[in-house]
Amino acid sequence: MRKSFRKHAEGQPLDLDTSLLPRKSGSGEAIVPSEQPGYYPGYSTLSQQAYWDKATRDLVNDRVQNIPRIRYFTGDSARFWRAVLDHVLPQTDRVAERCIPLLERIDERLFHNRSIGYRYEKMPPDREAYRLAEIAINEEAQARYSGKYVDLPQLQQDLVLQVIHDGKPAAAKLIWKQMSIGRFWLLLMQDAIEVYYSHPWAWDEIGFGGPAYPRAYTRLERGEPEPWEVEEEPYEWDAPRYSVSDTTEATNHLHTESRQNEFIPDESL
Amino acid sequence: MKTPLFGPFESSRNGHHALGPMQHIDLPMRRYQDADEVDYVIVGCGSGGGVLLQRLSRAGLRVVALEAGPFWDTERDWVSDEAGSHKLYWEDLRITGGTDPLAFGANNSGKGVGGGSVHWAAFTPRFHPSDFEIYTRDGVGADWPISYEILKPYYEQLELEMPVAGPAYFPWGHPHGYPYGPHPMGGVGNALIKGCSALGIPVSIGGPVAILSGSRADRPHCIYRGYCIQGCKVGAKASTLITHVPDGIAHGGEVREYSMAYRIGLGKLGRVSGVHYFDRDGAAWFQRAKAVIVAGYAIETPRLLLNSACPGHENGLANSSDTVGRYLMAQAGNVVLGRFEEPVRMYKAPPAHALTEEFYETDSRNDFARGFAIQTVGPLPIAFGKQMVSAKRAWGWGLRREMMDYNHWASFGLLGEILPWADNRVTLSEERDQFGISVPHIAFSLHDNDHRLIKAAKNKTMEVMHAAGATEVVQEARYAHLVGAARMGADPRTSVVDKFGRTHDIVNLFVCDGSILPTQGSANPGLTIQALAARTADYLIAQGEAIFTSNKRDMTEPPMRRELAPPDTWGHGVPRVK
Repeated sequence: MRKSFRKHAEGQPLDLDTSLLPRKSGSGEAIVPSEQPGYYPGYSTLSQQAYWDKATRDLVNDRVQNIPRIRYFTGDSARFWRAVLDHVLPQTDRVAERCIPLLERIDERLFHNRSIGYRYEKMPPDREAYRLAEIAINEEAQARYSGKYVDLPQLQQDLVLQVIHDGKPAAAKLIWKQMSIGRFWLLLMQDAIEVYYSHPWAWDEIGFGGPAYPRAYTRLERGEPEPWEVEEEPYEWDAPRYSVSDTTEATNHLHTESRQNEFIPDESL
Repeated sequence: MKTPLFGPFESSRNGHHALGPMQHIDLPMRRYQDADEVDYVIVGCGSGGGVLLQRLSRAGLRVVALEAGPFWDTERDWVSDEAGSHKLYWEDLRITGGTDPLAFGANNSGKGVGGGSVHWAAFTPRFHPSDFEIYTRDGVGADWPISYEILKPYYEQLELEMPVAGPAYFPWGHPHGYPYGPHPMGGVGNALIKGCSALGIPVSIGGPVAILSGSRADRPHCIYRGYCIQGCKVGAKASTLITHVPDGIAHGGEVREYSMAYRIGLGKLGRVSGVHYFDRDGAAWFQRAKAVIVAGYAIETPRLLLNSACPGHENGLANSSDTVGRYLMAQAGNVVLGRFEEPVRMYKAPPAHALTEEFYETDSRNDFARGFAIQTVGPLPIAFGKQMVSAKRAWGWGLRREMMDYNHWASFGLLGEILPWADNRVTLSEERDQFGISVPHIAFSLHDNDHRLIKAAKNKTMEVMHAAGATEVVQEARYAHLVGAARMGADPRTSVVDKFGRTHDIVNLFVCDGSILPTQGSANPGLTIQALAARTADYLIAQGEAIFTSNKRDMTEPPMRRELAPPDTWGHGVPRVK
């Protein structure tokens, strides 16, 4: 599937399915994959690394340059989770060599069995959570679209994950009984976010200043850029036609963490 | 790559233990043998343990602090990076349950010398006088065995030792001023000022926060880089690692890193005799001591006491009241996020730089007791992304879109007082950690007063964000800080320690950290923990040998020993404190 996002030569027709690309608002024209999506063209945190302390510079460069090989997931599971992560944090707006490797880092965490310091009573250990979720999501795909998740068309893959996101599964009730579906979704999202938004290419995308020791930030007020940051140049865009994830829903009425993340009805007061 | 004039910045040289760019410790320090019977073993070298180590060492006592994590070299070990800072947090396994399970790790639990003070945002408000008597006033929670007046001189003293930057006049609780000038405003602080002012709510600008607004001695001023909770490489933010531990070591104190305490030894005559611990290779050791002070914070302290159960103390040490582990508290910490048309860039400036305590006290117009504060927070991208998942249920393209808008958001954190409840509790689970030690289980559930308070606090904070001009306001529910679980009190039947932190059951066993707090107000607990530690140190020093030899419990308040503070932290520059 990822083959379809290969870089194309300038002026050549796109060698990929434009229904998977974000579009310019209004015209609906596909936005060609680029090295750096986002509203801060030309901004590069890595270009400032001589101004960072050595420990930070070494860490961030290692993150960019040394991508671990898959050691925890088996071939099938790796294919499955890669296909899931392509929807959890889609990157079809990035050229292939500037996609941020999500699966490799999550695999690394699970390989080392690295914990975040606690486990919810309603959750199994993280490795088991990923194992059970793979079964459950495949059962959901089977129940809804009569196929394995990885074999489904892009839109249907998105729809299957939306069901998990909404906490309204039709299948695998036994698994979701022993594992909170909301807590699993949060685990998956947190793992993906930690990898994507720790990458300097993502910092460039969102205009985050990045490391600033020992140089300092000096323009604290009014959101103005440092001399080495750039001004925002926003543009309007719509999500790809074959996707359903570009919607949000404020949870302002849910005042506690477990209500927000575990789909517990608000029975207080 | 653009290069600075003198080439890229390098880290510290070998042989130096850097604590920020200017301060360092030259190891080795004193190393006691296990067979040596030292005066005090302190378990945990964080906010409480760091201050104790400094005071007791300066008074000439023989002290070892056992620290489960590393002794940091801040230039070598710390980074300006969210994902790279996990080692600062206590990430050993804990099981979290109840109807409102708490998150641990990065949220509230430190590991390594300095403990939580390494990764706190460093807001340092005092508790209000009312906090010490909420049972008397409102019939909820518990009274403290001491009053605000007892702690006040220690608040003033620790505000100098850290020191704290903030306004010259702070109007809430017992009004006071701060020794260092307030910090300049970031975009988030400006939003809080604007929102509060529009609604007629007073606001404290530029602090109180234990971050240097100007350089002092071997510590530089803040550079507003925003990575406070990833550890301050600058050395501007106070942590006991840089404010107290170096002075303690200079006076003969020992900090033993990678030493995980697992059992307190009980010796003759019902006294404790030392602490069993594992080193980093898993080898077991026993450090003998005349007295033991547990300062492991609100989870590890009760865990160690419970794991120290032995004949005569079947329910754990110091637990005849069945109170060890109970009355655990966290504060409601809902983060309210507002989107502004103009960029904010909230990663600049310390997350902690403005607050209001206008809603701190019980208000008879409310349907709940006690109150809340509203403070600035400054989530970096990973934290912000996770907030968007809970606050807006964002994922996929929706999440990518929200994140591209990161620079337009500002965020406030409410800090709401959750009352102490007996069923909010630390116990031991069936599971074992990497050393084979029983893993703690934490049950946490909100009660009616807590629910009412959080709803009101959330709505008020959202109102302030709207008033600041935000065009969209959302919120992520969460909790902040941990205290309680080994509370102090006058009655041995309902508390673990007396007003000096001495356990009711064992005369030479003390607890001195956040776990002894009977209630928590809606103030960040760090300053109060350190103030209590300085007072306990004064008590121990005043009692002298009696702690080691006598079974008498002298409840006389000790004289304050300012001269035992780290040098040059008091006595000049601040007219109010002589």
